[in-house]
Amino acid sequence: MATYEEYIQQNEDRDGIRFTWNVWPSSRIEATRLVVPLGCLYQPIKERPDLPPIQYDPVLCTRNNCRAILNPLCQVDYRAKLWVCNFCFQRNPFPPQYAAISEQHQPAELIPMFSTIEYTITRAQCLPPIYLLVVDTCMDEDELGALKNSLQMSLDLMPQNALIGLITFGKMVLVHELGTEGCSKSYVFRGTKDFSAKQVQDMLGIGKVAMMPQAQQQQPNVRSNPQALQHQQPIPPGSRFLQPISKCDMNLTDLIGELQRDPWPVSQGKRYLRSTGTALSIAVGLLECTYANTGARIMLFLGGPCSQGPGQVVNDDLKEPIRSHHDIQKDNAKYIKKAIKHYEALAVRSATNGHSIDIYSCALDQTGLMEMKQCCNSTGGHMVMGDSFNSSLFKQTFQRVFLKYATGDLKMSFNAILEVKCSRELKIQGGIGPCVSLNIKSPLVSDIEIGMGNTVQWKMCTLTPSTTVALFFEVVNQHAAPIPQGGRGCIQFITQYQHSSGQKRIRVTTIARNWADATANIHHISAGFDQETAAVLMARMAVYRAESDESPDVLRWVDRMLIRLCQKFGEYNKDDPNSFRLSENFSLFPQFMYHLRRSQFLQVFNNSPDETSFYRHMLMREDLTQSLIMIQPILYSYSFNGPPEPVLLDTSSIQPDRILLMDTFFQILIFHGETIAQWRSLKYQDMPEYENFRQLLQAPVDDAQEILQTRFPMPRYIDTEQGGSQARFLLSKVNPSQTHNNMYSYGGDAGAPVLTDDVSLQVFMDHLKKLAVSSTA
Amino acid sequence: SVVNQGFNKLWGAENYDLLQTANILPPTRIEPPQITLGNDTLNAANCSGEIFRSTVTKIPESQSLLQKSRLPLGILIHPFKDLTHLSVIQCNVIVRCRACRTYINPFVYFVDSKRWKCNLCYRVNDLPEEFQYDPVSKTYGDPSRRPEIKSSTIEYIAPAEYMLRPPQPAVYLFLLDVSRLAVESGYLHLFSKVLLEELVNLPGDSRMQVGFIAFDSCLHFFSLAEGLSQPHEMMVLDIDDVFLPCPDNLLVNLKDRMELVKDLLNQLPSRYNNSYDNNSALGAALQAAHRMMSATGGRVTVFQASLPNVGPGALTAREDPNQRASAEVNNLKPANDFYKRLALDCSSHQIAVDLFIVNSQYVDIATISGISRFSGGCIYHFPLFKFERPILSEKLTNSLRRYITRKIGFEAVMRIRCTRGMSIHTFHGNFFVRSTDLLSLPNVNPDSGYGMQVSIDENLSDVENVCFQAALLYTSSKGERRIRVHTLCLPVVSTLHDVINSADQQCIIGLLAKMAVDRSIESSLSDAREAFINVAIDILSSYKLSLNLGSTPGGLLAPNCLKLLPLYISALLKNQAFRTGTSTRLDDRVQAMFEMKTKPLPWLIQSIYPDLYPVHNLEEQQVILNMMEEPVHVPPHLQLTSRLIDNNGAYLMDTGDHMMLYICSGVSQVFLKECLGVPNFNMLSDQMYEIPTIENQANQRLISLIDYLNSEKPHRATIQIIKDNSPSRSVFLERLIEDRVENALSYHEFLQHIKAQVK
Ligand SMILES: [Zn+2]
Ligand SMILES: [Zn+2]
Repeated sequence: MATYEEYIQQNEDRDGIRFTWNVWPSSRIEATRLVVPLGCLYQPIKERPDLPPIQYDPVLCTRNNCRAILNPLCQVDYRAKLWVCNFCFQRNPFPPQYAAISEQHQPAELIPMFSTIEYTITRAQCLPPIYLLVVDTCMDEDELGALKNSLQMSLDLMPQNALIGLITFGKMVLVHELGTEGCSKSYVFRGTKDFSAKQVQDMLGIGKVAMMPQAQQQQPNVRSNPQALQHQQPIPPGSRFLQPISKCDMNLTDLIGELQRDPWPVSQGKRYLRSTGTALSIAVGLLECTYANTGARIMLFLGGPCSQGPGQVVNDDLKEPIRSHHDIQKDNAKYIKKAIKHYEALAVRSATNGHSIDIYSCALDQTGLMEMKQCCNSTGGHMVMGDSFNSSLFKQTFQRVFLKYATGDLKMSFNAILEVKCSRELKIQGGIGPCVSLNIKSPLVSDIEIGMGNTVQWKMCTLTPSTTVALFFEVVNQHAAPIPQGGRGCIQFITQYQHSSGQKRIRVTTIARNWADATANIHHISAGFDQETAAVLMARMAVYRAESDESPDVLRWVDRMLIRLCQKFGEYNKDDPNSFRLSENFSLFPQFMYHLRRSQFLQVFNNSPDETSFYRHMLMREDLTQSLIMIQPILYSYSFNGPPEPVLLDTSSIQPDRILLMDTFFQILIFHGETIAQWRSLKYQDMPEYENFRQLLQAPVDDAQEILQTRFPMPRYIDTEQGGSQARFLLSKVNPSQTHNNMYSYGGDAGAPVLTDDVSLQVFMDHLKKLAVSSTA
Repeated sequence: SVVNQGFNKLWGAENYDLLQTANILPPTRIEPPQITLGNDTLNAANCSGEIFRSTVTKIPESQSLLQKSRLPLGILIHPFKDLTHLSVIQCNVIVRCRACRTYINPFVYFVDSKRWKCNLCYRVNDLPEEFQYDPVSKTYGDPSRRPEIKSSTIEYIAPAEYMLRPPQPAVYLFLLDVSRLAVESGYLHLFSKVLLEELVNLPGDSRMQVGFIAFDSCLHFFSLAEGLSQPHEMMVLDIDDVFLPCPDNLLVNLKDRMELVKDLLNQLPSRYNNSYDNNSALGAALQAAHRMMSATGGRVTVFQASLPNVGPGALTAREDPNQRASAEVNNLKPANDFYKRLALDCSSHQIAVDLFIVNSQYVDIATISGISRFSGGCIYHFPLFKFERPILSEKLTNSLRRYITRKIGFEAVMRIRCTRGMSIHTFHGNFFVRSTDLLSLPNVNPDSGYGMQVSIDENLSDVENVCFQAALLYTSSKGERRIRVHTLCLPVVSTLHDVINSADQQCIIGLLAKMAVDRSIESSLSDAREAFINVAIDILSSYKLSLNLGSTPGGLLAPNCLKLLPLYISALLKNQAFRTGTSTRLDDRVQAMFEMKTKPLPWLIQSIYPDLYPVHNLEEQQVILNMMEEPVHVPPHLQLTSRLIDNNGAYLMDTGDHMMLYICSGVSQVFLKECLGVPNFNMLSDQMYEIPTIENQANQRLISLIDYLNSEKPHRATIQIIKDNSPSRSVFLERLIEDRVENALSYHEFLQHIKAQVK
């Protein structure tokens, strides 16, 4: 039998899923005692080029309130042509087209290796994706020029049948008509007004197409007018604003090229009057009344904070800085509540219609991401934060939005609904991820909500192969009702979505795990613990709590959970901290929690509210590997002594003759130890006799490039050295093993001391052990 | 007696029994009456009757004498008329009376070589040394050599103290109705074509700016920003709360953005072909125009085809088509005061709004004209306009071309002063009366006239002459501040005979028509019509009284200077403005009324009583020389009656902006062949809108006559050839206003009606 490690890996590769517990406690009471909830991280459309193309509809269980999809876990009676649903045990006849099946001749969905399978629904209408660009023009010429270049280039990256639209804004909001004959045309809205979808529809005349015949009745002479007859042909609503790229490519390229910075004068000491809230509202309204429930992406490019109208986050007086965490904490941020309300309402509308919102924010100061975050978080849209549209961070990141599969299709899907079904021993508590609850009631819904619950379906307006949702389950089986030997719990994930090719597809993943009686076989359960998944799940729960203000003290909650887990699964003698041991598959968990506690996700005061929102946004959507890097950055050390090696994220790893490469997900940092830095400044690397030094310098740069070229969003790249001002990025992450908390080791050759008030991992662990073994805790 | 008659004729005082004189109209053009002052120098210096006219050429010495004459007292002025000769003076000090600010003029008294006495308030003023200097001969000497003393019409280039701010650049904004009716009318084709052709002739210097707004349900702005390859159209949908979509590039320097402007004009005619928008947000467009121009001032030109039915100032159709012929006319008053109030806002920002109305349906000119009437604008009307209809299309083209290229004055004010003892009390024309004698004219143009009523407050028996002075301060299109001054001097007389015999019948008609318009709007149309008739009765009664003939029965006597008054009044009663009994669209009537208020006198008279000429025998007619000194055969004027239309003749009627060539079926084939290039009457087309040029004398004579008649007009008249058996003959025949038509009296019946009333 494979090790659990291999088992977990296999499951992740095949089904895109990882569970906190791979053996499930068979009773409710025992499940609650496991501390870390039963849950999983699931990638609904994980990249699977090996999946067979299936061009028929899935076969559904005929029981009305089940409707599970035929899968390899179902029992099949080939002679009677019947299958038994593994969720409700309904016996279902196969549809007529399955008449030829036999044990030797099985449809793909019954083959065990296809526990994850994808159906393409060919009878459904193929819908091209829709991109609505919403562009801030309040920025200087360089910035706007760079942004314009990126936008023009993106036209080549989008599928040619995609519909595209353009809204620009500053003090006013301009909705541009595309593909117009002759000179370009835009509809101008005052940036201080909020508009309902109905108003947008009326004003843009999107509803007018249907009214034409009536108008003609009033003017009978028009019948003879050939132009009028031509006008009678059905035209998609909003076609003046959303046109296929193939039709308006040139026109739009010119239009973007001629965009000018917001023309309204900005006097000294003032900010631009920027109408982000109205612009976004019009964008949402435009799509809402033209393409509701069709995949669409609003792409907002933002160069500064909204300073007027709905969604305002600051006024236009530069003397008044934009709110900080301290202002928010002291209730000193006067615009925040109204703004959040505005953007949340837009997020809900947008999500309801299946439209996602990206925010590409590039500015030196904050732009209000904190207020706008739900627009991205609820719709699955990207949130990208940079300093400048002229940076490779933005340019590269934006290009990567349009990454393609080998087939040429974009790695970008739309308008998905994820539905979860499970065995009757389980109930669904909720989900945390770039989605919203669809509030679909079912007997499978648990009373205990974690994240977004009260539903068995979630809407994901857009998703990429890496999009990952956390889902939580409650074991509801009573202890008194033992599960028969060999019984397994099953969960089915059904994701319907609009593939970037326009096809409607249904991805189905069906998994099963063994039950174990925790009272008798706790070691079976503990052996199936996946500490990495647990760390990420706990992180998502902690951040979710931190975002919703009802639990102010998230750190204490994290601590309590950790202590309880150690009490439950550690081996120790009561009140003897030195006796405390954790088995290998638990041993890294405390360290993850230690780093999570001191991460930017929970320690907000060193960051701006926008940064916090951005960091949290990424944690809530990325897959397990990336999330772990965010929680506990990776540190590699490069030296003459051998190949690069991973080292402890600890001050002791900072050595004069080493180069460190740190990956925090958001930053890639190369740190040159003191000696290396000196040599580098003396330009040894340029001397032929020190070729090996040149190679040593180059090695981490090459490795960094590899990461920089693949990650989304592109990380910030930092090159620094001992004593360099940017070294603080490294020092804030490493475990302060040599601080004034334990200065006794100072002076040794163990590494450079770090000045911080944080407790070191050692101190943290000592406390943890003490509390875990305490008989009073 | 014959002797008496000869004597009276010599003094211009012979009289006529109108009922006995069928052909009362003089065969030649009626010139303004001469004003006779003390000496020939003064006579020669006096203001031209083409610019300044008074209803009497001799002012009665008292209000009671005036009342006895029953003549209306007033002046008509055409202050910015295109002039071939105009003295322009640039000097450091403009000499004006210190007390009443009158400009020095030919009628002042020089007390001695250093002082002059004001002829309006009689204050004695010092003469600046500089004034002794003759700029022409460059010598010092007699001040009477100065152009200010030699001519009553003069223009100063104003020194800096006449400027409240640097002179504004020429700014032209065009507001274009693009509603469904507007697009269907096709006017945009003509507008774009003419403007494209005349862009280089728009008056202005290098600072000149232009801009465009189109409107239907919403406002379409056009950004003509630097760096754009094409204009950018910006639509503002929120017409109830109008705002400008961008702070600049809506009005742009024409020279810098010529290519963008041309591009836009080329696109406009077809740009809205498929919009089918039935709404027209004129009010919002005007509000936007006001915002765009408020910093500079300038001229707004509006093309309007539909009733403005949405947004601020929205209107509903008020006309009842079934009441077009009724004796009482409703809805002559504006439906709201939106356009007037906005006009006053425009006026205070030196913005004038001109209207080109190209409507096919009711647009409520009575209301929307407010925007022009109170801002110093002008109104052109092209009812039932269709691009495809040749006369209308040519008329619009001609008017627009003249409009675009004619002289223009910006941020103007006109002040009218008169000699102490008289006062000016009622003003007619398009402007805003800023104070008792000061008219605010954001724009002034060479085709607009004004009228003022005058009363005599004090006895004038101790003065020989009285004066009126109009001073028009304006900024030229080249950015110069200028003052144009006109001074009219009239002798004072003490007898009723003198007063009545000094009447200027055309000027009286001009003033009466203006007063009747006010009366129609303020009181009622029937009231105004009755007033016209009463004026004729009163004046002729008064004349009879002045003759001291006792109660001799018989004729209806009128002096030479008033012999046409009843004819003109009967014509006015049949004019679109004042007629009843004939179906008249409300907008057409209202526009006719406003033309009464603003048309300079000669053109007004021509439109009231068109000139009719027989043209079938031009070779026999009198020859005069035109401005190029070429001979022109000019036939005598005929009265407007079918009595004078011969079945073998051809007749040209000139109504001012339109001519009709009426061809009777019996006209000679030679005429048809030579003049019109057709072998016979039947071959003559019913759709002929120009005289073909054919190499022969007869054709040349006809064309020369038409050219001559056109030469003094702001723009060429359109022409239409009408056969006496074609359906369109009615448009000619209805202008024969001496005949009885429908329910209206013939001229003769009208005279009999008057006679019965004259005491
Ligand atoms: Zn089932
Ligand atoms: Zn004076």
